[in-house]
Amino acid sequence: MLALRRYLRQAVFPLRACMEKEIHVGIFDGFGKKKEEKPKADFSNVQSGSSTTSAAPPAAAPVPNPGPTAGTTGSEQSYVVVAGDSLSKIAKRFYGDANKWPRIHEANRDQIKNPDLIHPGQKLRIPGA
Amino acid sequence: MMMRHSRKIQLSLCLALLLAAAACRGNVANNTAGTAGVRVTDVTLGRSVGGDKAITDRTDTFKPSDTIYASVATEGSAPSATLRAKWSFEDGQLVDESTRTIAPNNRERTEFHISKPDGWPAGKYKVEVFLNDQSADTKSFDVRGS
Repeated sequence: MLALRRYLRQAVFPLRACMEKEIHVGIFDGFGKKKEEKPKADFSNVQSGSSTTSAAPPAAAPVPNPGPTAGTTGSEQSYVVVAGDSLSKIAKRFYGDANKWPRIHEANRDQIKNPDLIHPGQKLRIPGA
Repeated sequence: MMMRHSRKIQLSLCLALLLAAAACRGNVANNTAGTAGVRVTDVTLGRSVGGDKAITDRTDTFKPSDTIYASVATEGSAPSATLRAKWSFEDGQLVDESTRTIAPNNRERTEFHISKPDGWPAGKYKVEVFLNDQSADTKSFDVRGS
C-alpha cells in the first residue's frame, strides 16, 4: 500500500501537474494573448567588400566591370540601395567623386535602364576604384 | 569439365577486375576536371585581416558595431575562379552576397567583409562560401548585444 502511494506520488502526480500546466498554457494562449514576434531585421544598409592575395584574372575573365574601370585591381563590392540614394551619391560614397556615377551605371546596365531611377532594395555592383 | 568451369570463373573475375579498374580511373579523371585544380582549404572568421588577408583577430562572436571578416584560403592554380560569400541571418534572411573573381596560383587568401553602420541585430548568422558556384564551406557566428 505504501509502495503504491509512493509510486503515485513519484510517477503519476508530476505527470498530472505537467498536463495541467500544458492545458493552462493552451487556454492562456487560446484567449488571444498574442505571441510576441521578433520584428524582421533590416539589412538594407549592409556594406560589403573583398580583397585577395591572388592576382586579378586576365581581362577576358567574366568580371562584370567594363568601360573605364578596365585595368583597375578588379575589386568589386556590392551595395543595396536605400531610400534617398542616387547614383551620384553612391559614387561619392565609394569613390569620393559624385561624377563617377557612370561607372556604377555601366556595371549595372542589366538592372538600371534609367540612371535617374533606382529603387530601394536594388543590389548594385560597385566596380573597384 | 571441372577445369573448364573454373577457367570460366577465373575469366569472369578478371573481366570484373578490369572493369572496376577502368571505372576508378574514370572517377579520378572526373574529379580533377570538376574542381579545375582549385579547392577551398579553410574559412576563418574574425574582426580584422592582415596584409596577407589572413584573420588577425579570430572570433565567432561579434559585437553589433564590428566589421565581420571571412578569410577564405584556396589551394591550386587556375586562370580564373569565382569565390562567393553568402551571409545570412538566423531567420534565413539574406544579409549580403559578394562575388570575387580570382586567378589563384598555388596558395591564396581572399577576404570578404561586411559592416552595418547602425549595428548588427543580435542573433545567429552564417556565411556560406562557394567556389565556382559550388558550396565549399559554411561557418556560423553570433552577434551579441554590447
